[in-house]
Amino acid sequence: MDVDTRREGNVTVVSLAGKLDAVTSPAFEQQMRGTIEGGNHAIVVDLAQLDYISSAGLRALLVLAKQVKARGGKACLANVSGNVRSVFDMSGFATIFEVVESVAVGIEQVG
Amino acid sequence: MIKVEHLAKKFGELTVLRDVNAEIATGEVVSIIGPSGCGKSTFLRCLNLLERPTRGTISIDGVDILAKGTDVAMLRQKMNMVFQSFNLFSHLTVMGNLTLAPIRLKGLGRADAERKAMELLKLVGLGEKAGSFPDELSGGQKQRVAIARCLAMEPKVILFDEPTSALDPTMVREVLSVIRRLAREGMTMAIVTHEMDFARDVSNRVFYMDEGVIYESGTPAEIFDTPKQPKTRAFINRTRSLNFRIGSADYDLYALEAALETFAEKQLLPRQAQHHLLLLVEEVLQIYVPRLKEAVIDLAVSHSEKKDLLEVVLETPGMADNPLAGPDLEDELGLTLIRNLTDRIDFRVVEGKGRLELTVKK
Repeated sequence: MDVDTRREGNVTVVSLAGKLDAVTSPAFEQQMRGTIEGGNHAIVVDLAQLDYISSAGLRALLVLAKQVKARGGKACLANVSGNVRSVFDMSGFATIFEVVESVAVGIEQVG
Repeated sequence: MIKVEHLAKKFGELTVLRDVNAEIATGEVVSIIGPSGCGKSTFLRCLNLLERPTRGTISIDGVDILAKGTDVAMLRQKMNMVFQSFNLFSHLTVMGNLTLAPIRLKGLGRADAERKAMELLKLVGLGEKAGSFPDELSGGQKQRVAIARCLAMEPKVILFDEPTSALDPTMVREVLSVIRRLAREGMTMAIVTHEMDFARDVSNRVFYMDEGVIYESGTPAEIFDTPKQPKTRAFINRTRSLNFRIGSADYDLYALEAALETFAEKQLLPRQAQHHLLLLVEEVLQIYVPRLKEAVIDLAVSHSEKKDLLEVVLETPGMADNPLAGPDLEDELGLTLIRNLTDRIDFRVVEGKGRLELTVKK
């Protein structure tokens, strides 16, 4: 999986591509912990290029959201579609996570 | 009428028929089915002595046809064969094809042979094609001529070797309806076929061949509705499966997923079903992972084209409890996905192995 991180003003946009599964989630979690501990507390995770997510990936996103919230910040997910969307719907994740239609909307939301 | 005992046929080192035993009674219609290369056609060709068996006996009406001095030409008059590729004489008209053998081998006069040939051509619906050459006929018409030519020798038994395999789908029906008519009239027939509906419909008995033997035989209802043997079931239900053994918590998930993707593509599974399969396997294995240190998991994925069923089965020796019901689940997330991805979940202990069966939602 590829993780691309960039700054848009005071917001960190994290773009994921490929698979967020049992194999890739631990490394992603670790990377995000570093990002958050580095002072990035407004995060938009862009899932436009993410092809696959399993419960391990959902947990990693949940951990990210909790860590941001614990520091008084905000996080949301953008461009949730296709297979990833169906996993969100199956798990009920779409209702417990802030999901927005685009990165631009996400930046407005958390910035 | 026909009795076959311990028939074997080898081509060099390749054993095609291992030990075939069968009886076919007068008036019976027997369909012979099975995967490609299982020896169905070789079995028929041995009956007609187009292939010489390596071992075993074949008797017809109590006469051993493998005995020295057997009149092979006479045998083939009694037991004639219709081939996949028609084998008509292209330089002869339809009438010429039908009268050649009766005149030469049975000594019939030309007028009698032609009268009989015309009757038979009418029987197969080709009375107006008597003067045509094979090249002027469609595949279905050629095969009907081949059947009429076979009948011209007044055989007691007809062997059909995949009579519709070389035909366009539109022409299959016309040939099968001629064979059905012969069945109704009490002709003894052995038919190698891939037309399962036809085999069910026309036969008194069905032989399922595999591994060089008649692996299972029975009435069409027994073979098609309640096959007993695993290979028969797999063939009838057009089931293909993929097996994978996981022996360590550090198993290669991506190698497994690559195998699943290849399997799913070969089975032409819809993209959603492919995704459900991959996700389900990962989720179930994530729950099994804590138990991997002490157990081996045999994972089988099977797809029945006929039943339109995609199943995942995990077998674990020594596992008596359902891991999906276990108290050691990290959370409900994986289990929620598994429930949403499946139509059925069943756990049983079979022969000391925990067996988890999941039917994938497509």
